[in-house]
Amino acid sequence: MGSSTRDMTGKGMSGRTKGLMILILLNIVSWVIFFAISVANGKHNFGRPSDLLLYLQNGLMTATGAVGFYFVMVMGMFDFSIGANIVLSAITGCVLATKFNMGYVGLVGGTILMGALVGLVNGLIYVRLRIPSMIVTTGMALIYEALANYIAGGVEQSLPSDMRFFGSKPGTIILAVIAFVIAYILLNYTKIGTYTYAIGSNEFVAKNMGINVDKYKVIAFIVSGAFFGMEAILSIGYGSSMVAVTGMQSMSRNFIPTMGCFFGVAFKKYGIPLPAILLGEFFVNMIFFGFVALGAPTAIQDVITGLALLIIITVTTRVEKGEIVK
Amino acid sequence: MSQEVRLQVIDVNKTFGITKAVQHVSETFYKGEVHALIGENGSGKSTFTNMLTGIYSKDSGKFILDGEEVNAKNQVDANNHGIAIIVQELGTLDGLTVAENIFLGHEEKFVRFGIKNTPAMNKMANDLLKQYGFDRIKASDMIEDYNFEDRKLVEIVKSTYFKPKVLVVDETTTALSQEGREELYKVMNRVRDYGGTVIFISHDLPEVLEKSDSITILRDGVYIDCVKSADVTEDDLRKLMVGREMTGNYYRTDYGEAVSDEVVLSVRNVTVPGQIKNVSFDLHKGEILGFGGLSESGMHEIGKAVFGASFDREGSVTLEDGTEIKDIPTAISHSIAYTSKDRDNESVIMNQSIGDNIVLPSLDKLGKGPLKIQSGKTLKNFANQYARELSVKMVNTNQFVSELSGGNKQKVVLARWVGADADILVLDSPTRGIDIKVKQDIYQLMDRMRKEGKSIIMISEELMELIGMCDRVIIMKDGEPSGELIRSKDMTENDLIAKMV
Repeated sequence: MGSSTRDMTGKGMSGRTKGLMILILLNIVSWVIFFAISVANGKHNFGRPSDLLLYLQNGLMTATGAVGFYFVMVMGMFDFSIGANIVLSAITGCVLATKFNMGYVGLVGGTILMGALVGLVNGLIYVRLRIPSMIVTTGMALIYEALANYIAGGVEQSLPSDMRFFGSKPGTIILAVIAFVIAYILLNYTKIGTYTYAIGSNEFVAKNMGINVDKYKVIAFIVSGAFFGMEAILSIGYGSSMVAVTGMQSMSRNFIPTMGCFFGVAFKKYGIPLPAILLGEFFVNMIFFGFVALGAPTAIQDVITGLALLIIITVTTRVEKGEIVK
Repeated sequence: MSQEVRLQVIDVNKTFGITKAVQHVSETFYKGEVHALIGENGSGKSTFTNMLTGIYSKDSGKFILDGEEVNAKNQVDANNHGIAIIVQELGTLDGLTVAENIFLGHEEKFVRFGIKNTPAMNKMANDLLKQYGFDRIKASDMIEDYNFEDRKLVEIVKSTYFKPKVLVVDETTTALSQEGREELYKVMNRVRDYGGTVIFISHDLPEVLEKSDSITILRDGVYIDCVKSADVTEDDLRKLMVGREMTGNYYRTDYGEAVSDEVVLSVRNVTVPGQIKNVSFDLHKGEILGFGGLSESGMHEIGKAVFGASFDREGSVTLEDGTEIKDIPTAISHSIAYTSKDRDNESVIMNQSIGDNIVLPSLDKLGKGPLKIQSGKTLKNFANQYARELSVKMVNTNQFVSELSGGNKQKVVLARWVGADADILVLDSPTRGIDIKVKQDIYQLMDRMRKEGKSIIMISEELMELIGMCDRVIIMKDGEPSGELIRSKDMTENDLIAKMV
């Protein structure tokens, strides 16, 4: 007994250590495989220290959004408007910073506020209309894309070079660390965290305990949205510009944060959801860059990435015999 | 017990659709008493206490606690008024620590500027657990690290640490072992001793008589009577619950009847890792074979193993015609039925109608043509026929199973298998949490089926029903059979217990 205590409550090291070992091993093994292949075919363009820093930078970026998304996912809800949120928030922040001359205040404040606003709208529509979150967020993604396109005036929005502090170290690291600390505190030291787990466990009982379930679901979406706002700051800083894509093209940005979040949910049992998200994102990014380094065709990359996701979640999720999985 | 009124209930009503669950119930509860609430399944006991504790809202009427009307909106609101409940099912939440479960909904006292003081919360929870003598449970552990029994103990702490004025214990004892029960009794006594009132719901009449001061009887949602425990016997209570003298037989009355030599099911060297070891037995045609033992003795796994529902099972389960049962579809298509001990999760489909639940295993049989086209009318008639045969108390077969009481849910499960015309029935705890009237119906049904040549495996923690119903009882201990007793008038509970421990 007592092997799996939640994140840093001070006990049950063995469960946590085991989870961390699995994740670290996963990263080492995939590094070794890609490194060996890249050396074998004479390219030697994967896994060097400078490459690892690049994977880390990208991992931090997506993990920043994923730790917020974790609140939504633990409650059993989903969000397909992640990419649209990042695009809309980044463009809003960029426009405020440049066209309205608000500088970093506009960039940081505007992006995070827009992210949170998107979360609020998602959450409200979901609880008011009683439509599954997957459908609400898919529908809303189209609207957010259109809105971003309108704000951008159909033009690519670029961030001037003097405003890209968050696009490289130490800016990325600073903002990501702030995001993790906030997520950690919310999860472990506020009612929001407790109620997130309570609602995720049994909504009916949670309601009976006087928890305003709808309110906390909306809060989860707001938290998630704000964290994707932070990811948007890192994203536009790193890429220096953002295109307001339409026709669901923003969906391609959903994948990596969602995968990291899966790691968080899968490793919740070990009591390390947040470290799992970070290590998971590092791993996913390493695989992506690995394929690029090997020059694998996109179709092959997609097939292998999809399979890797299934295998990892199967191996890492300890499903009890007879347990129902949905 | 004092004569000071704690809780006054005035003309309380509740309906679900057209079911009148509680009708014009009025009653007075006093300070410092354990007041039992008894009645058949569906008599309205749980509905009544669920209204008091804010789980349901009432349609009309008043609850007056210490002179003030209370209308609890939810359990936490009820707690704030000094009313607490320990429920029948699991009342703790996965994903939270023991301490978080204990203080769920009451975190305010540990929150300052929005930040929760987890160490303080854990410390207080540990202190409480220590006070109750549950030291081995640690506040910072995740609740899912503990078994059902320990989680119930956590729930007991959660419901009583704030010294409630009224504590409702809803059918909790059936879920607990003797040790757990003793802990619960201690807490009930403690509440009584400081002047609180315990409302105690139980089907176990000897327990009710022993533990309570007064007893209120409900029948069909209506108040029948309130009696002093010291003035009545079990028989008196039964009469009050059923509303008439019990007629007909309760258990089987035959003794010395020969059981057929024909073996319909043969179990050989069945082992399920961590559950049962090397179990072998034969089931004869028309036989009721009982399995008894302590809850963790492995007896419940035998039902699953026979039905092909165990994981990593070794050994063989073979039918008369040589068919080996290795999975559930084979079991069902060869006329084996199984009812689980965990009725709500493993037997009925809660969010479907009574009709859907009954026709489920018979859909193939009821379909027409090679594509097994289903006709709504055929299905409805089928469901009606068997629901009626088992006298399920319902509005009609379109009613959702979730609205039924425990006993009626069990009747739906049995109607399903009677309808499927199963020849071998594996009944795990068929009368668990069920009142005597429905119990009697189930016993009579089993006796009828036995006479029709059906064979039954009955797994039960209630020794009296094993003695009363079975041709043979196999006692399980530590995953293995520890003895076998043949039906006899002289068999006593002690004969069985001797082989159990």
